[in-house]
Amino acid sequence: MSDTPSLSLPIRLSRRLEVRMLALALLIGIVLSILSPYFLTRANVFNLLDQSVVVGLIAIGMTFVILTGGIDLSVGSVAGLTGIVLALALKSMPIPAAVAVAVSAGALIGLFSGLLIAWFGLAAFVVTLGVMAIARSLAYIVSGQTAISGIPSELQVLVFGSVAGIPFNVLFLGAMYLLAWLYLTYTKGGRTVYAIGSNREAARAAGLGVLFYSVLPYVVSGAFAAVAITFSTAQLLSADPLAGNLLELDAIAAVVIGGASLYGGRGSIIGTLIGVLIMVMIRNGLNLLGVSPFWQGSAIGSIIILALLVERLVSTRANR
Amino acid sequence: MLLEASDVGKVFGGTRALDGASFSLDRGEIHALLGANGAGKSTLSKIVSGHHRRSGGTIRLRDRAVDFRSTREAMDAGVAIVMQETSLAPDLSVLENLFLPELGRPGRLSFPRLRARAGQILEELGVAAALDLGEEVARLSAARRQLVEIGKALASEAELIIFDEPTTSLSPGEVEHLFDVMTRLRESGRALVFVSHRLEEVFALCDRVTVLREGRTVAAGVDVASLDQQQLIRLMVGRDLGEIYAARGEGAADANAEVLLSVRALASPPLVRDVSFDVRRGEILGLGGLVGAGRSEAAEALFGLRPRSGGTIVLGGREVSFTKPVQALRAGLGFVPEDRRTQNIVPDLSVRENLLLAHTAARRGFTLGYGTRQAKIEELFAALDLPIARLAAPNLLDFSGGQQQKIIIARWLLLEPAVLILDEPTKGVDIATRQAIYVILRRIADAGVGVVVISSDFEELLGVSDRVVVISDGTTIADLPSAALDEEKLTLLAAPRTSMGRTTRLLETLAEEHAGSAFWILPDASELICLNVVVRGEGTAPGFEPGAAASFADTRIPQGLAAPPGRFAAEPDGARATVTVALRNRRGHDMGRIGLIVAGTGSAAMENSVERRVGALNG
Repeated sequence: MSDTPSLSLPIRLSRRLEVRMLALALLIGIVLSILSPYFLTRANVFNLLDQSVVVGLIAIGMTFVILTGGIDLSVGSVAGLTGIVLALALKSMPIPAAVAVAVSAGALIGLFSGLLIAWFGLAAFVVTLGVMAIARSLAYIVSGQTAISGIPSELQVLVFGSVAGIPFNVLFLGAMYLLAWLYLTYTKGGRTVYAIGSNREAARAAGLGVLFYSVLPYVVSGAFAAVAITFSTAQLLSADPLAGNLLELDAIAAVVIGGASLYGGRGSIIGTLIGVLIMVMIRNGLNLLGVSPFWQGSAIGSIIILALLVERLVSTRANR
Repeated sequence: MLLEASDVGKVFGGTRALDGASFSLDRGEIHALLGANGAGKSTLSKIVSGHHRRSGGTIRLRDRAVDFRSTREAMDAGVAIVMQETSLAPDLSVLENLFLPELGRPGRLSFPRLRARAGQILEELGVAAALDLGEEVARLSAARRQLVEIGKALASEAELIIFDEPTTSLSPGEVEHLFDVMTRLRESGRALVFVSHRLEEVFALCDRVTVLREGRTVAAGVDVASLDQQQLIRLMVGRDLGEIYAARGEGAADANAEVLLSVRALASPPLVRDVSFDVRRGEILGLGGLVGAGRSEAAEALFGLRPRSGGTIVLGGREVSFTKPVQALRAGLGFVPEDRRTQNIVPDLSVRENLLLAHTAARRGFTLGYGTRQAKIEELFAALDLPIARLAAPNLLDFSGGQQQKIIIARWLLLEPAVLILDEPTKGVDIATRQAIYVILRRIADAGVGVVVISSDFEELLGVSDRVVVISDGTTIADLPSAALDEEKLTLLAAPRTSMGRTTRLLETLAEEHAGSAFWILPDASELICLNVVVRGEGTAPGFEPGAAASFADTRIPQGLAAPPGRFAAEPDGARATVTVALRNRRGHDMGRIGLIVAGTGSAAMENSVERRVGALNG
């Protein structure tokens, strides 16, 4: 109701969700480094960043989708399918062409989902659930139910190459987050994505290109699924039809931990990056601490719910 | 005394919404609760009905202190509220909605018993014929849904019913029906609270009035009959407002000004069938009609928000056809839809970005280019009396309704449109803000923009526009200067054509029987507005068309129109004679005159025939 009075800097910062989540990430990092002396070693930090690449890339596309108020459950399966497409393409064409084919395949699948959702008005949850099943099934059929090996080892440069001591895949991840942030913050398309998620009817009445920018996020999401699996394939030099299983859940969790609203309109790409780091740190920490893999699911699930619960309590107080 | 609230306070966060509000209510009265936006009348209503808990003061119901912690507790004590946004479950039937609170109680339901009670309730409301208990609520009109809400209050055996701005989305006929229902409830000894912005409704319906200003009671339980409109406004606003509607500017809106937008035979089924109008430079054109007449839909079809099946649109001299809003706004058309919250405001974007939303849509290319509009923004904020500091605020929803509306209007002015269409621009804003918006509209028009205002509030429509185009059942039926109209004429013109079927049949019968012409007009001293004409006999046309105004002298039957009713009066040339008879509705309201023109001089038998047939219609 009233004008915002001048507040001290820490309080103003604490009103920003990203800042609070960054504080949470730091807190988790500190706790883990106390619990495990190995956590903060150079080797483990690079390990952490390396583990962030696949889920991090997928989470970029997921952020776009969730910002418009949608959801993409198909990313894990699309990653599996495009991984097989990549492996098969590599048998008959040079690496750049094969990667282009795989990414185009991912984008096309996204276009398919996006049109069903935005043009025909079907529920995103249901459409992408269907596409999830189809993509996984196609991955098995196209691959002949087995992992495809014999990937040219030159592809490994994506993972093992480095610039100024920083692995190439981590640099690529950083560059993609920078681009996505610039796009969502400073371009017409990015702001339209936010406006659609916040109030589709008003965006339409104001003349924004609601249809185009409702489809685009699914295309971006499909393409990033393919890019992510390309990095994973480069690491393993093998494409498994089961690859990317449940990756959608990690990506959605990262986006939500990063402060996005599943109703759309609210969230940020920086928040997503922090969300990815939180997820990866927890998983890594649990491994370092020797927690049984069977308990890790419970631990991660509890931490996600707890983080959101605390966030909800804090934000209602901060915005009063 | 049924209810006495004294010195009630309420604090939301850091804001005092109520601070010393007092209010008392007797059985068998309709008590108006008035106040500008933010005066606290909704908050007080919601405290009384258990939606909010008060922060201070006392409330006594039937001489016992009460403090409702939930709406359920209020309901059990016999207090119900009928709200603006209905609290019905759209997928359930009328019956289930009537007894929605019952569904939440333990124990088994007896549907036959509920059905019988529902019948009694609808009977008491006098609407048994209008509502089918098995009908799904989602399929009902806004007016019928409201009846269900009222029925729901009765089903909970409420003795005190609060109506929170119940007339906002009703047509004049429906409002009258609602008032009938409310009067019945008063007769039955219930106490009603009527929260409204519309002063004329308060005068028409209420016994006493309590006025709130800035959370405080400034007039408690004053007899409505002892006040006039000016006094009430002064109480609400705290000062004199003077003339509510802005005076027309110099040289604006002359009838020969350039036509900026011309619409012919616009159609977008099922609601828009045949809409035509012109908008001239510097004028405010009102689009009048009932809710559901197709005015908003016509504007949406123009703007590319709704598919169009026919018609021609000429904007700035070029024929255009918009399939997407972006084409319309680039061509110089602006459209402010009706509902601020759902169709205009993007809550997660900042105030600045909300302001620049149409700019973003209009802009070609990849980047935002917000900086290019900065100078224009500053100019607009000054013109709209908005402090420029508001631009930096994070959330538009924190603004008052009036300021939100100014930002939304500024969103379109930023694009410097040739024609700006505003759908219900003063919906849900208080009277002082309304006045400010009228001033702005007039300024926009004076700056050379063609302004189109869609409004269901006929008083506002007549006050703000230079000319009014009336739309009924998706068809343009009149295009008249506001000066030639008043609210009653507008109400008759706007009535759905279907309800005019009986008069149309009467005109046809008369014209055919006597091989002449029959007409239905609203006459003034020496002017008339024609509602309908049926020509069957050669040389008997009256010289005016349906939906048009004419002065008696310009018609072909000046003598006939000037003559007293009931007797034929021949024109000087002896070619035709005219007889007119007054038309009244069931309640005895003046509905204008029915006339018959015949060749020659007419006869007493014809006079009797006309009298008899019109009399039969008068019932």
